[in-house]
Amino acid sequence: MDSLTSGALGNFIADRVEVGVFVVDADFNITLWNHFMATHSRRPAPDVLGRNLFDCFPELPRAWLERKVRQVQALRNYAFTSWTQRPYLFRFDHNRPITGGVDAMRQNCTFLPVKNEAGEVEQVCVTVQDVTDTAVAHQELAASLAEIEKEKAEQRKLIRELESAHNQLLQSEKLASIGQLAAGVAHEINNPIGFVNSNLGTLASYVDELMGVLDAYTGVHAQLPDAQRSAVEAQIDGVDLAYLREDLVALVTESREGLDRVKRIVQDLKDFSRMGESEAAWADLHHCLDTTLNVVANEIKYKAEVVKHYGELPEVECVASQINQVFMNLVVNAAQAIAERGTVTITTGTEGDGVFVAVRDTGVGIPPEVKKRIFDPFYTTKPVGTGTGLGLSVSYSIIERHGGRITVDSTVGEGSEFRIWLPVHHPAPAAAAT
Amino acid sequence: MTTALFSEDQRDALQELTNIGMGQAGASVAAVLGEFVQLSVPRILVLKPALIPAALERIVGAEKVTAVRQGFHGDLRGEAVVVFGAAHCRELADLMGYDDSLDEAAERELLLDVSNVLVGACLGGLAEQISAEMGFSAPSLMASEAEVATLLDVSRMDSPCALFVEVNFRLEKRSFACHLVMLLPEDQILVLRDAIDRFLASL
Ligand SMILES: Nc1ncnc2c1ncn2[C@@H]1O[C@H](COP(=O)(O)OP(=O)(O)OP(=O)(O)O)[C@@H](O)[C@H]1O
Ligand SMILES: [Mg+2]
Repeated sequence: MDSLTSGALGNFIADRVEVGVFVVDADFNITLWNHFMATHSRRPAPDVLGRNLFDCFPELPRAWLERKVRQVQALRNYAFTSWTQRPYLFRFDHNRPITGGVDAMRQNCTFLPVKNEAGEVEQVCVTVQDVTDTAVAHQELAASLAEIEKEKAEQRKLIRELESAHNQLLQSEKLASIGQLAAGVAHEINNPIGFVNSNLGTLASYVDELMGVLDAYTGVHAQLPDAQRSAVEAQIDGVDLAYLREDLVALVTESREGLDRVKRIVQDLKDFSRMGESEAAWADLHHCLDTTLNVVANEIKYKAEVVKHYGELPEVECVASQINQVFMNLVVNAAQAIAERGTVTITTGTEGDGVFVAVRDTGVGIPPEVKKRIFDPFYTTKPVGTGTGLGLSVSYSIIERHGGRITVDSTVGEGSEFRIWLPVHHPAPAAAAT
Repeated sequence: MTTALFSEDQRDALQELTNIGMGQAGASVAAVLGEFVQLSVPRILVLKPALIPAALERIVGAEKVTAVRQGFHGDLRGEAVVVFGAAHCRELADLMGYDDSLDEAAERELLLDVSNVLVGACLGGLAEQISAEMGFSAPSLMASEAEVATLLDVSRMDSPCALFVEVNFRLEKRSFACHLVMLLPEDQILVLRDAIDRFLASL
């Protein structure tokens, strides 16, 4: 058999090459349609030759394709499309019916100007290259890259968690030792208070009896001989007996009240520390708040008046010692934010299937750039030695472990409000240990 | 700095050739991009690669840029890089008459398209002037929203010089600019110089 002439060879190659090749004229009539195009589109050349491209393939992106072809004609230059931006021009089945991974053949297309003798572009040739394999490989690569990125993000998260757990540990150690100390002191104070209390009780009844005796004597001295009577009267006037009698009773009553207060503080200290407790139990948050306010009363009384807007609260399942710690952090922060004198308002109520506690102050407020960081461990704007910057980060993780939220709303110059929301039911009562 | 590579005359000729090339391309680019597109007279700089980042930064400003590269081959072989300022990128869609907002893939396709048009027009025009045959490979995205300074890893370029062509687009009141850098390997610079000399001789 004779070998093909070079023209025929060219035609053969254009037809049989494993690349889609087709040509359209200025009116988008198809003038060449090679074997690849025919088999993949299932439209043999005689079907489409001489016909308008968009009539044959109405699904093509017409406006876009027209612009592309006009561009090639006007510039007499190549144009391209890449599967990364436009997955395909023609929706063809790909060569991976089984191993798949993509919905259709991925294509890179080249638009070539076909010039006539005069150098004008009369027709435009388009080649359609099957790049499905590359695309799939690329996608797999991108997927594993994304996987690695995800793992890295998880690792970063773990590291952060580790950091905060570490800080939590530091803080709870600190609090544990304070709690121990408080509990020890409370215990030691309890004994002397016990006997002072009972002695005072006895004293009160003795005073009562003594008063009875004194009453019996009152006026009787008038019957005594002059010398003795004036001596007794001088004594009575000298000590101002009427006032003394009144004051003696008042003193005893006041002392007993004072003692009651000492007893309450000791009880609060014990409540507050409740050593070793880490199990969630049903607690009355108002009681928690009051206890905390008593403990920190000294720290805030010169700065702020505390206003309570307590609503109706159900009991909440929580680790009370930890919640106390959160309340304390918020109240102390609120007082510290107040420069001269201000108000700390505590509002409580129910919200959804939980409760909220809001601590608002009339302090300096928090500028936005600080606000971003206040929950970071060790972030503090307070002078060295004043703040450790752990208060809010610890509070945050405590509330988080209770399945709650802590949010802040602040206006510089007006004040801040920290708001805690806690679910009534602890999310995992068994696993609530620190 | 570049005196060793191009003489004054050769440099002027290169500017001239690019002007003519761009001038011829201008009409067709305008036809593609819209009615009132104007292409400014390109400013030509011949630079050592190490100086490109600084030059780019001076022209583009310190803003973030997106860049497209495209290879060309044939009688003249090298790479062209088109640099868009981030702000200009967003105006592109407008310029090209897309009214609806584009998704990322469509935006990139548009960017590649415009780069292809520019490179084709600019280099094609130049090639025509020096009677060189040139083909182009598909453009690809080189960097997106990157710092100008990090765009080109100049330490990895062994091209002793780069032809820096600044092209400005203008469309009515809106002005849109992008910058085209043509990078040539050493032997190709000789080819270009010979071509320029031939052009000078034919004057
Ligand atoms: N109510 C508030 N008003 C204004 N700023 C506040 C308020 N509460 C917290 N901040 C800001 O948040 C920072 C972090 O608070 P956080 O309680 O974590 O630490 P701290 O109070 O500085 O130190 P620590 O509580 O450990 O003694 C504070 O330094 C302060 O700048
Ligand atoms: Mg604090």
